[in-house]
Amino acid sequence: MITPRNIVHHELIGLKVEVVSSTNPYLVGIKGKVVDETRNMLVVEMDGEEKKVPKDCCTFLFELDDCYVKVEGRLLVARPEDRISKKYR
Amino acid sequence: MRRRRREVIKKIANERIQILFRLAEEEFDKHPERSHRYVSLARKISMRHRVRMPKWLKRRICKGCGRFLVYGKNARVRLKNRRTCITCLECGRVMRYPYK
Repeated sequence: MITPRNIVHHELIGLKVEVVSSTNPYLVGIKGKVVDETRNMLVVEMDGEEKKVPKDCCTFLFELDDCYVKVEGRLLVARPEDRISKKYR
Repeated sequence: MRRRRREVIKKIANERIQILFRLAEEEFDKHPERSHRYVSLARKISMRHRVRMPKWLKRRICKGCGRFLVYGKNARVRLKNRRTCITCLECGRVMRYPYK
């Protein structure tokens, strides 16, 4: 189960996401489904178009089954398979 | 304490593998390259965190090219000489598994 507690370690591909704030104003408002993930980027599908959003400079709003979670992109910077065991403080 | 953390990690890794395979199945018709990517991510997770992939999932990855196999579409399954032979139609690799 993906919960707000473990979303930082869990799978982001397949979730619905919106870019809430960013240092690059052109990225704000991108909304759609995450289709791929690399160390520094999330690939978001928006109306059939793939948008590459850097994780580092954005704040994301993820939609889970029953709630919304706002996550700072800085916390997500890691390779997808390394993100499970990364520690945060 | 440390042991509990490791258990939590393995649990999350297992869930992520399940999610990735489900997504690979859903995406295969429209975006096959995406489903190949998801499967390779699942394999990376299972190797990094030493989580065993269940047998029915392991057999859906080609051992030669690492692509996602959908039986009847890009893989052929035949029973020969007391073995299950799965042929990857993308790269031609044949994987043979004995009956249990």
